[in-house]
This record gives sequence, C-alpha cells and structure tokens, in this order.
Amino acid sequence: MERNPMRRQLASLRKSLFDQGYLDEQFMELEQLQDDANPNFVEEVVTLYYRDSARLILNLDHALERRPLDFSKLDGLMHQFKGSSSSIGAKKVKAESTLFREYCKYGNAEGCMRTFQQLKKEYATLRKKLETYFQLARQIGPMESANRPK
Amino acid sequence: MLEGKQNGQVFKLPKVILLATNITNVELEKAKAAGFADTVIMKPMRASMAAACLQQVLGIGKKRQAGKNMLNGSMALQGLLCGKKILVVDDNMVHQRVVAGALKKFEVAVECRESGKAALKLLQRPYCFDAYFMDIQMPEMNGFEATHPIRMMESKANKQMNGGMDEDSGRKGEWHVPILAMTADVIHATYDALNAGWMDVSKPFEEAKLYQVVAEFFKSTRSNCFT
Repeated sequence: MERNPMRRQLASLRKSLFDQGYLDEQFMELEQLQDDANPNFVEEVVTLYYRDSARLILNLDHALERRPLDFSKLDGLMHQFKGSSSSIGAKKVKAESTLFREYCKYGNAEGCMRTFQQLKKEYATLRKKLETYFQLARQIGPMESANRPK
Repeated sequence: MLEGKQNGQVFKLPKVILLATNITNVELEKAKAAGFADTVIMKPMRASMAAACLQQVLGIGKKRQAGKNMLNGSMALQGLLCGKKILVVDDNMVHQRVVAGALKKFEVAVECRESGKAALKLLQRPYCFDAYFMDIQMPEMNGFEATHPIRMMESKANKQMNGGMDEDSGRKGEWHVPILAMTADVIHATYDALNAGWMDVSKPFEEAKLYQVVAEFFKSTRSNCFT
C-alpha cells in the first residue's frame, strides 16, 4: 500500500489544525513526549481529555439548567474544563472557556449560556478533527504519525 | 518519613516549584520571600520547562541556552535525572498525565496524587521525593495548605538536626523542599501566597532568569534521600 499520499494527508491535516487555530503549541509539546517507549502518548492524553471533558460538559449542562445559576459552581467546572483543554493545546475551546469564566465573574447568565453553546460547537469540531487525525495516523503506522519535528 | 540519613550527612527534602500561567514582575519580586514555593511555572506545563526546572531544582547541569529544545537534550541530563522521585499533585487528570509524561521522559519515577490530602498521606510513610509538582488551586486543600505541613516538617527536622538551633541558610541541617507549584491563575495565587508569607516565585517564561532564581535556592546539597 502506498503510504506517501497518506503521510502527506496526515501532515496536511495536522498543519491545518494549527493554521486554523484549533490547536496551539501545547499539542506539539505532547508530540515531543511521544517516543518508542510511549508510542501512543498523544492519543492517550487526548482520549483522557475526551473522557474528562465529556463529564464536565455534562455537569455544566446540568448546572446551566438550574435557576438561579450558581456562577461559582459554573466557574469551578469551567476552570477544570479550561485546564484540561489547555493541557492538550485545544486553543479555540480554551478561548471559549476563558470567555465563559468572564461572564461568570460578572454574573451574566445570557453570556454564559451563549458562550457555552459556542464552546460545545468548538469542542465537537475539534474532537471530530482529532478523531480523523488519529485514525489516519493509526493507518499509517506507529512511528510516523504524531512525532514530527517542528 | 524522611528517612535516608547517610553517615550524618545533610539530606534534602524535596523541592517545590510553582507552576503558573502568568505573573507580573511586581508580583515576582514581591513574592521572593523564601518559604513556600521555590519557583513558578505556567500551566499547562511545557514539557521542556519541566526538564529545565527539574535540572535546576536538583542542582544539576548547567544553564541551557534559552529557546533550545530541552527534550532534544543530552543523555547526560537524562542520566542525572534518572532515578529521581517526583510527586505530582494535580486534581486535573489530563494535566497530571502531561506532567507525568514529561517527567517520565527523563526516567524520573513519578507518583501522582489528585489532592493535597492524598499527597500528605504519602508523606506519612517513609517516602522520599526529590521534588513536588503541586497544583495550588485544588478544591479541598489548595497547594499552600498542602505545602505548609511540608515546610513545618522541614523546620522541625532542621531544628532536630541542629540540636535545637534553627539555621535558615546554613548548609548543615538545611532542609529545603523544592516545590513546583502549578497554577493557572498566578496573580491571585501570588497574592494569597504573599499574604501567607509562603511564596517564593520566579518568572517562568524567561528560562535564563528561572535558572538564576532557582539556582540561588538549589545550590545547596544534593539529595541523599533517594534510592
């Protein structure tokens, strides 16, 4: 099977994730930690992120249904979410988290809800793109996927 | 707890390094009161920064050129860090994983705990860590609350070793735990730390300055307290 086109595709996909602002340099940090001893490090951390963030989104959804809104609780949840997101370099998601927390700070319910919808959209998009990326990487083979020099 | 004496030599308690997202120069300068944390690092922690901090914290290696990729660094660094024991305390599992991954790269033995409470439990047993990476914004017990007991242990141990005399900066009987405290909100964390009189931070982004500050604190004895 001809791998080169796939490799090119992978590289191009990866590049677009950065160029379009979905990922920042923290993701590269993860890539640098991947090696023979930890050949799937990036995907493992990202998978952990999916689990962690899915749980937090669920909790946030519930919290946003309460009336009145508990901004302190919302902020706490989003603090966690932001932390996870920034740990994998999820740039756009992180930006929405920051915005959400600002709205929490000022008790702006509408702002929170609006931002959260946007955040979920960004999260879904990122997740889809990353899933595609890792799927392709797996097809290509263990060593050639995420471990790219800058 | 804290075993590992060797022929009456001084042995070092682990060090604490503060990890933070941003900090102003003013805060930095003000926060240099010795005590709680020995240095500040931004969250999310850059893998390269972890290596740099550890290197300095453990008093090994020379200053690296700023901007160089630490992870492409030498076998020498790897060898020096190899076998060190680090405790990572962070309630964010993703970040914890990243920190552990960065440290393991250098064949550091990493233990992880999700809370200050759990971390302190570990200290009740005869563990001995060379450094702590401690998140200071955890819900139950924040990093300051978790490291206070560590500092207390230090003074106690110092007093004991010096036969009742407490020397701050003397090399003999000086236990100074390198604490790398991690936070995403350094400004507030700094104020808290300043108020508590605990914090000792350095600016994370400037690697050169980081080395300088960290080196000041860590040019003391090497750790004798590890396997």
